[in-house]
Amino acid sequence: MFWKSKPLWGSKTRLKSNYDAVIIGGGLHGLATAYYLAKEHGITDVAIIEKRFIGFGGAGRNTAIVRANQRTQYNVPLYKEALDLWPVLTKELDYNLMFNNCGNLNLMHSEAAMKSARMTIATAQFHGVESHLIDAKQAKELVPALNISEDITFPIHGAMFHPPGGIVRHDAVVWGLAKGAAKHGVHIHQHTEATAIHTEGGKITGVTTSRGRIHTPRVLISAGGYSAGLIYQMLGIKLPIAVLTIQAMVTQPLKPLLDHVVSSGAYHCYANQTLKGEIATGAHMDQWPNYTTQNTAHYIKHQAEALSDWLPCLRGVKFMRIWGGLADMTPDMAPIMDGNDHIEGFYMDCGWGYFGFKSCSAVGKYMAQFMASGNCPDMLKPFNLRRYENHQLMGETAELVSYTPNN
Amino acid sequence: MALILTCPVCGKRNGYEFRYGGEDKGPRPAEAGLTPAAWCDYVHMNKCTAGVLKEWWFHRDGCGSWFTTWRDTTKNLEVAQPEASK
Repeated sequence: MFWKSKPLWGSKTRLKSNYDAVIIGGGLHGLATAYYLAKEHGITDVAIIEKRFIGFGGAGRNTAIVRANQRTQYNVPLYKEALDLWPVLTKELDYNLMFNNCGNLNLMHSEAAMKSARMTIATAQFHGVESHLIDAKQAKELVPALNISEDITFPIHGAMFHPPGGIVRHDAVVWGLAKGAAKHGVHIHQHTEATAIHTEGGKITGVTTSRGRIHTPRVLISAGGYSAGLIYQMLGIKLPIAVLTIQAMVTQPLKPLLDHVVSSGAYHCYANQTLKGEIATGAHMDQWPNYTTQNTAHYIKHQAEALSDWLPCLRGVKFMRIWGGLADMTPDMAPIMDGNDHIEGFYMDCGWGYFGFKSCSAVGKYMAQFMASGNCPDMLKPFNLRRYENHQLMGETAELVSYTPNN
Repeated sequence: MALILTCPVCGKRNGYEFRYGGEDKGPRPAEAGLTPAAWCDYVHMNKCTAGVLKEWWFHRDGCGSWFTTWRDTTKNLEVAQPEASK
């Protein structure tokens, strides 16, 4: 049986009854945090508790796009650091993460969108992130397959070109981080479900799992789309999150035609060509919360319509694989990283929506710093949970998003 | 993932005719003595239950009714009100 063989990242470990830190969720944020806890802070007695297997959730379901062209002054430096870390981690982990630095092209379909792009670009440039505004003709020069005619549903007015972004092989990041963490002594326990978190006098004392009880003074919940439900169920803390299924798909392999990640807000569609030649493309989120991770005919049709409008050479091309994952959306499109607040030793890292992959490297580094010291690093302070009751929602989205109940 | 919801006026209709209105959080809190935390709880906070919960829906492309119903978020199906909540 394959699960009895030696795991890819090191040797099999026994679940101990004591750990210095327990991380619930063996996704990229959990693995990266464990890796940095062990490597940078000397906290090597760490257990990662994963209900299924590492990379089961968002870590293996995202469309692998990385970029640092967010909107606010709080987000941009965090994502920039994440972007800068890919080549560093490739060397450090001695694992090829296949960073394809192809650049991102965000299409703008109205003058209002062009104005909004100008502001985003100014923010990026202020933070030393390369980003330019280009017109439709320049976009066509970058991507000759693009349809810049005026008789499509949403004619292209221009684009925001962000050369530092691109694609990172997400499975490689999972395996690389698991290998790196295990090398420093972290225990990765797959097929182990966390069922309860124990507190005593406002302090974390332990975690009950399907394989027994663990005593620990620190717990991090970084279970991607499952975090909000788990945090409420185990600790009664409600979060401003709606969990939606987000769908993605790839076409049959084609000759090289797309050497940038291209996305369009108006069409709700993004596409890039993988190294295998498939066009990987993502769609809308479902209009109502659900944990199904199923695809719908509704959005496959939407995706085909959108792609054949702005990339007409794809008309008639078949989708080869379809899948779905979970996006835990917050009303301000910014994550929640908080902890050691009302419960000593409890940390959360959630609300990433569909940005969890591109941020994982930097977040792991800062969450590890947070958990090791108990003090929130300056970089993460703006992402606290109290911003919602203080009416300080982050301006990551210019208007309330239409795909959660918050619109 | 074909969601079918029961509108109190129009009966069973395709889920795409409806707009999701959020988890049912009970009545709006009274203005008198309202704290920022209580207001935030009512406006933003969710239980994100993976399972059966009571929700608000709006029949946007239909009669315009607002109503509550029960749905299982792991199966995306409308379900009968659980006995325990009655």
